[in-house]
Amino acid sequence: MNFTTDIVIGIEIHVELATKTKLFCGCPRVGAPDEKPNTRTCELCLGHPGSKPVLNRKAVEYALRICLATGCEISPELIFSRKSYFYPDMSKNYQISQYEVPLGKNGKISIDSGKDVRINRIHMEEDPASLVHPSGMRESSHVLVDYNRSGNPLCEIVTEPDLTSPDEARDFMKKLSSIITYLDIFDVNSCIIKADANISIKESDYTRVEVKNITGFKEIERALNYEIERQKQEVANGGSIVLETRGWDADKGISFRMRTKESEDDYGYIIDPDLTVTNISKEWIDEVKSTLPELGHEKVTRYIKDHSLKEDDAKVIAAEKELATLFEKVAEEINPILAAKWLRRELVRVMNYNDIGWNDLQIDEIHLTDLLRLVEANKITDKTAQKLMEQLIEEPFDVNVKVEEEGLLAVTDSGEIEKMCKEAVDSNPQAAEESKGGSDKALNFLIGQVMRLSKGKADPKTIKEIIESIIK
Amino acid sequence: MNIKELAQKIASGEIDAVEHTHQVLEEAKRINKEFNYINTFCEKRALAAAESVKKGKIKGSLSGVPVSIKDSIVVKDVESTAGSAILKGYIPLFNATCVQKAEDEGAIVIGKSSQDEFGFGSFSTNVGVGFKKPLNPIDPTRACGGSSGGAAGLAMKAKFPTLSYGESTGGSIVVPASFCGVYGMCPTYGRVSRYGLIDYGNSLDKVGPLSKYIEDIALGLEVMSGHDPNDSTSVKAPDSDFSSYLKKDVKGMKIGVISEAFGDGTTQDVQDAIWDGVKKLEDLGATYEKVKTPLAIDKGLAVYYILATSEASTNLAKYCGMRYGVQKETNESFNDYFKNIRSPNFGDEAKRRIILGTFARMAGVRDAYYLKAAKVRTLIIEEYKKLFKNYDVLVCPSAPYTAPTFTEIEKLTPLHTYMADLMTVGPNLAGIPHLNVPIGEKGGLPVGMMVLGDHFKEGELIRTGAAFR
Repeated sequence: MNFTTDIVIGIEIHVELATKTKLFCGCPRVGAPDEKPNTRTCELCLGHPGSKPVLNRKAVEYALRICLATGCEISPELIFSRKSYFYPDMSKNYQISQYEVPLGKNGKISIDSGKDVRINRIHMEEDPASLVHPSGMRESSHVLVDYNRSGNPLCEIVTEPDLTSPDEARDFMKKLSSIITYLDIFDVNSCIIKADANISIKESDYTRVEVKNITGFKEIERALNYEIERQKQEVANGGSIVLETRGWDADKGISFRMRTKESEDDYGYIIDPDLTVTNISKEWIDEVKSTLPELGHEKVTRYIKDHSLKEDDAKVIAAEKELATLFEKVAEEINPILAAKWLRRELVRVMNYNDIGWNDLQIDEIHLTDLLRLVEANKITDKTAQKLMEQLIEEPFDVNVKVEEEGLLAVTDSGEIEKMCKEAVDSNPQAAEESKGGSDKALNFLIGQVMRLSKGKADPKTIKEIIESIIK
Repeated sequence: MNIKELAQKIASGEIDAVEHTHQVLEEAKRINKEFNYINTFCEKRALAAAESVKKGKIKGSLSGVPVSIKDSIVVKDVESTAGSAILKGYIPLFNATCVQKAEDEGAIVIGKSSQDEFGFGSFSTNVGVGFKKPLNPIDPTRACGGSSGGAAGLAMKAKFPTLSYGESTGGSIVVPASFCGVYGMCPTYGRVSRYGLIDYGNSLDKVGPLSKYIEDIALGLEVMSGHDPNDSTSVKAPDSDFSSYLKKDVKGMKIGVISEAFGDGTTQDVQDAIWDGVKKLEDLGATYEKVKTPLAIDKGLAVYYILATSEASTNLAKYCGMRYGVQKETNESFNDYFKNIRSPNFGDEAKRRIILGTFARMAGVRDAYYLKAAKVRTLIIEEYKKLFKNYDVLVCPSAPYTAPTFTEIEKLTPLHTYMADLMTVGPNLAGIPHLNVPIGEKGGLPVGMMVLGDHFKEGELIRTGAAFR
């Protein structure tokens, strides 16, 4: 292939599908938090003689959703193959995967820069067991094997080498994350997402290095940055890059050599004769299509068109399914622009500050609607609203009751405010003098004093106007 | 006495299930000392089952009927090795579906019958390391045939009524049935669940019954058949009242005699016996014509050995001493450990087929071997399908010769050994049912006629076989 960019990156992402049971048996996909190793297994996940796989159609449906959401061509037949290699995490020493005919091919995902990252193929396969290295990945004298994960359904998404920077790769992963969350096929708490990246740089004449086992959405950028720097330095120091497979050690933040590749791996694929060909009928595809939710990029367009949101606000809100869902509910009652501003800025800020994820969020659209309705009607000041938001996140309450009980309604009686303004001006003659002379600092000080007197319930804009009229 | 009669007598209380099982076990063990038909007896389990039958806890069409299960079909709590040292000590956690169905009908599993390791052979001489070869029930200097040798041998030798559960990938039911002089039915692929069958070539493996009596074959198949949600290749098949075909005569049947099966490779004795059989069918009102299956005969062996070994080499990969079967202490890397378990515990033929199969699916040759073989297989199916438009059944010898002596077998090259399957690989590749009918003897040794039918036409085979009762 003729590459022109400084950096060429292609990634393969393994997404675990959030089904109830494993891909080819009835074992639960997820165990209890305190489950013991090798207990969530049956004869099939352990590769016992005589056991036979039976396909979980729900997993196929989930994979179809990804294919449809990324615009893939879908194969009319689902065919599984055996990928043979010997490794202790493989219960059969072959993995049931797909080879010649993947479920989907030729799709794309658009990233922020406007670029379409092409999807080469999407296929289904079973997860191997997990290997536990008791004293570190490379130092351990032995590994322990836990087959609880063995047979979990994975969907592998393979991109073309279209990415040209770790930044783009991160953005791509973000987009993919958004898609699979919207599709309801990925559960961030129980599903694993892993990536293998192929990275090459111009300086080495694009010699391809594969870095395996990059876990999680955020790790990809870090791993790519490290690997690119490593390759550049290697070349700068007079070394050369070889065709190899490296592993990513997230604890240490480095990649390490696993094996050099003299040739392509030969997995001796055969069609898995234990599984019959599954027809993917047009009806089935249509059925899955009809259940597809609106995706992030579709929401962005709609928010701009229907709600007149700014593109930036629309994008930030649509990028996260939970935020978008909340926004849409609140926007039914509240001016969407106001709702967008408050959700995107205040809610997210307070959540981040308290390190609260969407799963931990205890408040819902009713709390937010109550709160923002008051803001919308100028019944409470922004400051009060911010404070209430902070308190809501800590422990939810009925906003209207609280505002009533604690007398938080904004002071709108201008006589009342005027009294407080006079008091502030009278008690701070120097500041009053300086404000008159045009000092914003002094004016803000006075406004602050009034805010304090009103316990934050007076509207700063009104205060400013009144003070200015007094000192004039 | 056939198994149906036995089951009735046990159900009526005329025969005591426990006492009978005791006697059966004694006799089977006595036979086994000389003939090696059973790798593992499960005496306690058998007696417990007999007790249940006696108490009336289990009632069914096989009440109290002793059955032997080929070692490659797993029986819960009973060592199941597929005749291989690498699975020594393996105690299955579940029953194969066919075993469960038998036990639900009151059958008494007495033990696991001997076989070529993983089914890799035509004579039951390729037994696993440390296993004993089963001997021909008529002449112990001769082979039982394989790979379901123990199943066929016991069916012939036992004086008690019994049903043997065999398995065929490329001829492993009809060949031993032919050498031992019993009926052996390899059903349509998908008719009987493979769940619990230790795989040889998954797209070819079929479980089927062997017995001295065609009535037992019909009843046995009725019990075994049926769709199984645990086996994706299992089929919801119509027509399972096989016993009703026992009453039908062959009048008006159109029979195709596969003429290539009467060439140089087939002994005169066998040719004569088969023609006698065909003439008998003609006397009974059937008509026959000579037909040809050139593709099955010319390409069948090559296609079979490529596909079967390709699949087998992946199936055998899981046996590495890590999760079950033989194990040992180790400080080695997993690669060395796997090698040191596999090298001494697989027999020569298993290694040969692993190497053959791994080669056939290697990148670079995969298109020329594995994929091409899969295409030719489809053509072979079409070849048979065309014939079944005009003929009810096809017939030919089950094997080109009668049971050979062990000395004769030793002289055969691997390729010559594979030739023993010449007749049987075709129907096995096509997944069509085929039945060995013991039609007579030559030089004191049984000769078997193979009757082939269209998919799911086992009834026609039983109809034909019943003519030779």
